[in-house]
Amino acid sequence: MIRVRGLSKEFGTLDNGNGGVLALSDIDFEVHDNEFVTIIGPSGCGKTTLLRIIAGLIPYDHGEVTIDGRPVTGPGPERAVVFQNFALMPWADVLSNITFGLEIRGASKDECQAKAIELIKLVGLQGFERRLPKELSGGMQQRVGLARALAVNPQILLMDEPFGALDEQTRRLLQEQLLRLWEHKRKTVVFITHSMDEAVMLGDRVMLMTPRPGRVKEMIDVPLERPRSREVEKSSAFLEIKEYLWDNLRAMQSGDA
Amino acid sequence: MKKRNVLDWGLRLAVFIAAVGVWELFVSTAQNFLLPRFTDVARGLFRLLFSEARFWQALYISNQALILGFAISVGIGIPLGLLAGRFRWMDRVLNPYVGVLLTMPVAPLIPIVIIALGLGIAARVFIVVLFAFVFITVNTRAGVRSVEASLIEMAKSFGASEAQIWRRIVIPGALPAIFAGMRIGLGRAVTGMVMVELILVASGLGRLLLEFSGRMQSDLVFATVLAVIIEALALLAAMQALEKRITRWAPNIAIG
Repeated sequence: MIRVRGLSKEFGTLDNGNGGVLALSDIDFEVHDNEFVTIIGPSGCGKTTLLRIIAGLIPYDHGEVTIDGRPVTGPGPERAVVFQNFALMPWADVLSNITFGLEIRGASKDECQAKAIELIKLVGLQGFERRLPKELSGGMQQRVGLARALAVNPQILLMDEPFGALDEQTRRLLQEQLLRLWEHKRKTVVFITHSMDEAVMLGDRVMLMTPRPGRVKEMIDVPLERPRSREVEKSSAFLEIKEYLWDNLRAMQSGDA
Repeated sequence: MKKRNVLDWGLRLAVFIAAVGVWELFVSTAQNFLLPRFTDVARGLFRLLFSEARFWQALYISNQALILGFAISVGIGIPLGLLAGRFRWMDRVLNPYVGVLLTMPVAPLIPIVIIALGLGIAARVFIVVLFAFVFITVNTRAGVRSVEASLIEMAKSFGASEAQIWRRIVIPGALPAIFAGMRIGLGRAVTGMVMVELILVASGLGRLLLEFSGRMQSDLVFATVLAVIIEALALLAAMQALEKRITRWAPNIAIG
């Protein structure tokens, strides 16, 4: 379980404590084991910062972030991150990109090989093992990113707008693929998005954040049945939650416009 | 691919023939007995290569300084560039000196270096290093800077150590720029090698050049210069072949 209590993060603080920008303020929430939580909020609400803090990539100022009771002080083997811009090594082929995390964590060559073959099948990249990232479409690149994260068999998957850089069709296909994967092999997922459809389609709960400073506005339950198919998009529950999110986001952003 | 290669070589040959034609035409109309025809130079080159033992000896001597100086330049230039690229404080410390080395004319310093280090190989190697290494440093630094921050963050997210980040992300990412730096560095090293021999240390190819020009054997002067160019081109080609093998992923960075 991920537990966040009273978390604050300030950027660019001077030595005398002045001049900083408060990115996150007093964040409280938890994500239960095998739960899929999506986080949505206007740009500048610090959602990516929050994810990077949970990933252990940046330090935080106040509060507490724990995973199964242990405080987060850095990256850990139970977590893996999927990045918005894919973050693939351009010099390495699909296979080497997928096994990168395993190799870093000291897996043997045979282990890496076996795992890579399994994952390539899982994400549907057979025949592309020796291709370089630049030879793949965006959707395929992110499937490599997903496979790389899954390869280390994490309990927790941290996804930072993973489909944000993709076109609508590809994004939908990958959402469906991710849902099938997750329903087949449950993991705890924290998924950042700026798409309301995506937030409701994927999440057990949607966390709505406010900007400047980022706070948790509300945690919204998504009482849609699983396994989910595209059919749920037509259900009244789906449309209601989406409408509710939009009302809130519009209110938050009208100040900016 | 094959077809383009044939076309490329055909065009290169055409440029070569045109240049030689202009050269021959110029010489035959210039009425200057010191100016050698291209055919004279070609004959001179042939003579140097096959019946002039001193040429090979000179080439050997010059290459000692070149190879040693270039190796040292790579050995100093790449690590300094890597450090300056990765650590801001290193960059701030090195920046003014890199600026000095980049803009400083090296040739006027040659006499001072020779006074300090004598007429031996040490002075020649030192000058070659002075000519070459800073260009390798600057390119390596730029290469490290060009590595996407998100890749380093990705490696960290899997718990990579600093050593692993260097080996798996920073160095592979910087390689294309490092090679570009080495290509420029090699060109500079060849210049440095010939320059130091011409200016003060009468040894190697520089000595041969001085001798030939002293005897007004201009065809042999041209032939020697041509031999230096051919060697430099061969070294560059070897380096480019190595680069292509190692960094087939990168877009072609054509500097130098």
